[in-house]
Parts: sequence; C-alpha cells; structure tokens
Amino acid sequence: MKKNTLTGIAVVAAAALALTSCSAGGAETGGEDAPGGAVPLSIGNFLDVTNWDPANADLGFDGPYLSAVYDALITTDEAGEPQPGIATEWQVSDDFRTVTFDIRTDAEFSDGTPVDADAVVAGLQHLKDGTTASEAYLNVEQIAKVDDDTIEFSLSKRDDTMLYFLGLGRSYLAAPSAIDAGTLSEAPVGSGPYTLSDSSVPGSEYAFDKVEGHWDAGAFPFDPLKITPLSDPTAMLNAMEAEQLNLIYTDKTGADLAEQNDWKVARGLATWAGLNFSDRSGDMGSPLGDVRVRQALNFAFDRQGIHDSIAQGEGFVSTQLFPTGTPGNVESLDAEFPVDLDRAKSLLAEAGYADGFDVAMPMAAPFQPYQAIVEQTLAELGITVTWEETDFMSYMGKAPTYPMYIAVIAMDANPVATVERQISKPQWYNPNPGLANLDGVQEQVDAVFAAEPGDAQLAEIEQLNALVTEQGYNAVFGQNENIFVSTSEFDVKPVIGLMFPTLRQISVGG
Amino acid sequence: MILFILKRLLSGIVLLFVVASGTFFLAHAAIPNPALGLLGSGATPEAIAALTVKIGADRPVLVQYQEWLLNLLQGDFGTSWKNDQPIDKILALRLPVTLSLVTASVALSALLGAMLGTLAGLRPHSWIDKTVKAGAVILFALPGFWVAVVLVMTFAVQLKWFPAIGYVQPSESLPGWLRSITLPAISLALGAIVMIAEQLRNGIIQADAQDYTRTLRSRGIPFWRVALHLLRNSAPASLTILALLFVGLLSGAIIVEQIFGIKGIGELTQSSSQNGDIPTLLGITVVTVVFVIVVNLLLDIVLGWINPKVRVK
Repeated sequence: MKKNTLTGIAVVAAAALALTSCSAGGAETGGEDAPGGAVPLSIGNFLDVTNWDPANADLGFDGPYLSAVYDALITTDEAGEPQPGIATEWQVSDDFRTVTFDIRTDAEFSDGTPVDADAVVAGLQHLKDGTTASEAYLNVEQIAKVDDDTIEFSLSKRDDTMLYFLGLGRSYLAAPSAIDAGTLSEAPVGSGPYTLSDSSVPGSEYAFDKVEGHWDAGAFPFDPLKITPLSDPTAMLNAMEAEQLNLIYTDKTGADLAEQNDWKVARGLATWAGLNFSDRSGDMGSPLGDVRVRQALNFAFDRQGIHDSIAQGEGFVSTQLFPTGTPGNVESLDAEFPVDLDRAKSLLAEAGYADGFDVAMPMAAPFQPYQAIVEQTLAELGITVTWEETDFMSYMGKAPTYPMYIAVIAMDANPVATVERQISKPQWYNPNPGLANLDGVQEQVDAVFAAEPGDAQLAEIEQLNALVTEQGYNAVFGQNENIFVSTSEFDVKPVIGLMFPTLRQISVGG
Repeated sequence: MILFILKRLLSGIVLLFVVASGTFFLAHAAIPNPALGLLGSGATPEAIAALTVKIGADRPVLVQYQEWLLNLLQGDFGTSWKNDQPIDKILALRLPVTLSLVTASVALSALLGAMLGTLAGLRPHSWIDKTVKAGAVILFALPGFWVAVVLVMTFAVQLKWFPAIGYVQPSESLPGWLRSITLPAISLALGAIVMIAEQLRNGIIQADAQDYTRTLRSRGIPFWRVALHLLRNSAPASLTILALLFVGLLSGAIIVEQIFGIKGIGELTQSSSQNGDIPTLLGITVVTVVFVIVVNLLLDIVLGWINPKVRVK
C-alpha cells in the first residue's frame, strides 16, 4: 500500500513537471528582447474592447486596442495637445469655421488600399455618422477632399474642442471597403501599426501581427503584442507576478508591490469624486438652490480624511473640476473650503436650515466606500439621508433625478472640454446645469467661448473655475488617479480623458 | 422509456420558455435605460439617444419581446448590444470554455469522491473514514475563492508550474489546456469531492446494514462482488448530487473564472449584466437552461437504467 502511494505521488509529480516543461513559454512574456530589437508586450487591460468599429467605440479603455489597428487623423500627447497622425499638419481659418488638414500619402490599409484623401473623407464621415464618435463632429457641417493630400472641415460654428476630441480617439480611420461591408465590428480593417491576428480569442486575448513597413513603425517596437482584458485586479496582479503580463492597469496594491518586483509605476489623473448637485436651480424642491447650502456642504467635508482613507493617499485633495496641474486649474482654489463645521452650520442657519433637512440619495456598490463618511458628515449638519439602494446600471440613470448624489466623473485635460462637459453643457450626469441660478456663471461661460483661444481664453476659464468653485457648483472631495505598473523596460504616459493610454503613450525606456 | 424521455423533454421546453421569458421581462425592468451602461460614464446625451434608437430600446417592451422570441424560435440569438457581434458566435467561444472547466471538475469530483467515499464506506471508523470526514469539514469551511487564491499564489505565482490566468483550447495544445484547466478545476472540485465522498460513504454504510448484504456475506460471496452490489445500490443518490453539482458548478464558475482570468460563460454573465447587454444575458440564460434540462434528462435516463423502479414510477 505504501509503495503504491509513493508510486502514485511520483507519477503525479512527473506529470506536473512534464506539463510544466511542455508548455513553458507558451503564454509567458518574460520581458526579454525579441529578435530585431522588438520587445514583447502583453498588456492587461481592465475592460474588453467596446467595439472594433471606431464609430461606435467607447474611448475609456479602448486606447491600446484601437491604436494598434487604426491610424488616427490626429493623435494626442499626454497633455491633451493634438499631435500629427495621418494629418501631418492642420490650419484653422481666422474665422474658426474652416479646418484644413494636410494628409500623408505613404499609409496603406491592411486590405492593400491606399489611405488617400477619398478614403480619409469616407473614414471621417463614418465616424461623424457613428453612435459615439459623432461627439467630435457636432459642429462639422461638411468633410470634403480638397486635393489628393488635403481635406477640409467646414464648421457650422467655432469649435474649441474638436481637435482635442479628434486627437483623443475620435479620428481612427477605417478602410472604406470594410465600412461599406459593415464588418468592422467583427473584423477591423485599418492602416495601424498592427493587424488583429487570427489567433485572437475575442473577449479573452487579442494578439496582433506587426505591419511591415508601417510609416511610423519606430514608435511601435512591440512584437509580439497581446492585450488581455481582465477586470479582476487580483488576477491582473497574479498574472504580472507570474510574468504572463508586463503592463497592467492596477490600484494601490499594485503600486505597493512595484518596488519589491522592480516594476515601474505610472500615475495619471482620471476622475473627480464628490457630491454632484443636480438641483442648483432648486426645481426639485430641495434646499440646494441656495448657494449657502451648497457652500455649507463644501465646508463640512474632511477632504484630507477622505483622501487618506478612501483614496489611500493616491491622487489629490481638491475642490475643483479642472485636473490638478493642468491649464484651468487654480491651485489657490483648493483652499477655498477648509473643513469648518461651525461655518457650515452657520451658513445653513442663514439659509433657513438651522436644523438641517431631509434628503434622499441613491446608492450602488461602487459608491459604498463614500457612503459612511457622507452620511456621518451630513448628520453633523442635521441633514438626514434616506439611501435608496440600486445597482450600478440603474444608478447611472437614476442618480441625476435626485437633488444630489455621490459621483465619480471622468475628467479632461483640455480646459474648454472641461467647461463644456463639467459645467455648461447638459450631460447624463448633469441634465440641468442650473447656470441661471449661479451668480455670473452664465455670463462667464459666454466670455470663455467668445475669448480668443490661448491665454485670453485661459484667463476667462480660470475666472469661471473660481466662480463655480466659490459658489459650490459641486462638492468635490478630490481627484483620483489611474495607476499602471509595467516591467522595468517600459515607460507609460497616461492621458487624462483616456482610462487606458494608447500604444503611442507606451515606450521602451531605459 | 421513450414515453418517459418525451415527457421530460416536453416539461423541459415549457421550463425553457418560462425561464427565458421571465428573464427577458426582469432584465428589461431592472435595466430601464441600457444605453447608459453600454456607453459608460463618458457618454454624451446625443450618443445615449442614438444608441437607444439603434438597439431598439426605445420601443415598447412587448414589441421587443415578440421580436426576440420569434428570432429565437428561428435559432437567432441576435447581436450583442455592447459590441455588435453575433451572440451565437460569442456563446460558441465562451460555452466550451466553461463546459470544459465544469466537466473537468465534475470528472475530478466523481473520480476522487467515489474513490474516497467507497474506501471510507467500506471501512467505517477507520483512519481513512476519519480523514475523509475531517477533510469534508475543513473543505466545507474554507471559502472556495480563498482556496482558488491560495492555489494560484502557490502553484502559479511562486512555483510557476501553472499559468496564473488564461485558457488554452485543447485543439491548440493539449498539455497547454491541461495546464490552464488544472488549478481552476481543482478549486471548483474540492467542495464537490467531499460532498460526493460523504454521500457515497453514508449510502454504502446503510446498504451494508441491509439483510441482502448479510445474506451475500453469509454465502461466502467475494468481497469485491459484495462491494459492487453496495455501490450499485448507493449510486443513485450520488449521481443525483453529481448532476446537481454540474448545474451548481456552472454558477460557481463565475468566481473561479474571474480569479483565473478565464473567459467563459461566468465571466460573460458578469460583464453582460454590468454593461446592461440584455440580448447577451438572454442568450446565456437560454443555453444554460438547455444544459440544465439535458443534464437532468441524462440523469433520469441513467437512474432509470440503474434502477428500473424509477421508470415504473
């Protein structure tokens, strides 16, 4: 019996060793240089590609997928500034109504057709007609070919954010043949530095074949290139430690592990977290139409405490909607609301709510870390919250129907885009900005859009930022960063506005 | 026997219709504005409105239900709201992964569970029996996800014997498949092994106390033949548990697939419900219910074959 047992153990051990040796290296990256100076890159992304058709894709985590197979008319750098892509340069007319793009003539789609002016116009028109990409083309009346290497946008009105959105990922060009065939969602055809390999398993692991002779091959030294969507942070870290991945989206745990593993850490601002006020106009019947109530709420929260505990010290304590360190952000405004409960109570009393008030707020799992501190802080002001539980899906639709709610909202690097998306333009999370109820804000928004782009406009934006911050447009607790860790050979430069950077922001460093 | 199978099939079809229809209306009630979840937090109101029209979510739910049911009857699951891909293609990719995982777990559970249960049942109160019972208590007490995490940390991250994430198709590489499936299958199977072992042990001990066993023993029948009788009489309860386990493991696979980064039906269910991709959720529901029906039908047939009294009933 004892002999049989030992034999059994030996067989199992031998089988395990055989299996290990049989397939060693199959899925591992090892981080070693491949022949020809190429470097293997296996990315662990948080989400699957939303859609291979760039007209219907979501930008958040799609950056590495779409930038692999498509060239963009223009790209972006990490500061949100438009950079050349298929368009080598562009000119904006004096009246801001015409934008002319010079396009390169040495690019080719993977179906063998040239990326010429006709193809670029067709690709952009497809984006303009798309579900999600159309956000960049709202003021574009016409896209036309001028000559073989020039195209032109005619705008219905001046648009200060169009180039920013085009660069952010709203100008990926698909081949006209695939657009006409309606097959992009299943089989992307672009002119990017890679093509989607047949060995890819949709939803599980995407492999990419390097395009020989791509016009910008030097910017993409990754070969083989693989992207694995993986939403479980622990699984992502395990795969990184097991050397199956060498660049991942992670959290503080991953950043903490980086030092002992000799990994590089890259951080980039991504979202602001706090209370979103949906009833600045007072139309919902809540006290939030009174600026003193909104200011009281801003004075009540211990932002540093929230930063230390919930954000675990990652990101920035802030009262602003404009990302820290970017144009439009005014450092001094972060001191606008030091935690001061007496001041908060006194403001509430002035507004006629000395005993507080009752308010209903929605709650879903992703926002639970903030629930206790919000309830406790509001209780100190006599404000009683009735939490109405819901799931995340329903939260997104229901939240704006409550006077205020806990929000984590994506930010933009471009200050005009921030004005539009966070302040002036109705969004799903802010269907009624209520600017008429804010002293001087509408006038200042108009001044922003009337000012000459550049320093003059930036000065108006900073003034607008001061106005909305002082009047408690929202109660921002802080600004959160996305964290990426990579093995030591890679450098990553996150882009505000993209939850995961494109391949252009990944480089082989020293 | 044919009438028996036909009756079961008919009740299965009714069950499928009721569950699928119920899921349709529940999903639409729970996700009133799917375009929001599909587009994410960066969505503009224009994009939300355009997608709502594109996926047809602006139409009355009854109209959507009628269209979905008619398409389903023609074998058309529709296309995913999330990425425009045909759902039958998505399921064809994901289903074999989960079935592979669950089948490996069930096979492992059946083999080890039967072995341990038989040994413990034939020698009650021996050290084997005590070990099996103690093991059962411990394994039931340990959360499944914890066991999975310990396995991956030990054998994938530290020893690097197995991959930490991913699934290799057997057609691509058989050793690769075995490597990718080993840790998840063990994680999923541990609880099931002890459940089957306990059930079989108790069944054998009960059967061993019956008059016919004493008669067999008194007539000097060899031990292994007596054991076969005992197994045959104790098997139905264990087989029922095995079938239930197959169904249970399908849902248990959600956590294991997440921990091991395996993109099967479990992961698809989770991501589809997070995104509000109702057509994909419905596709998953339909194929899962079909599998539950098929497994139960097979169980009934096997039980009927083992014990003719079942057929008569």
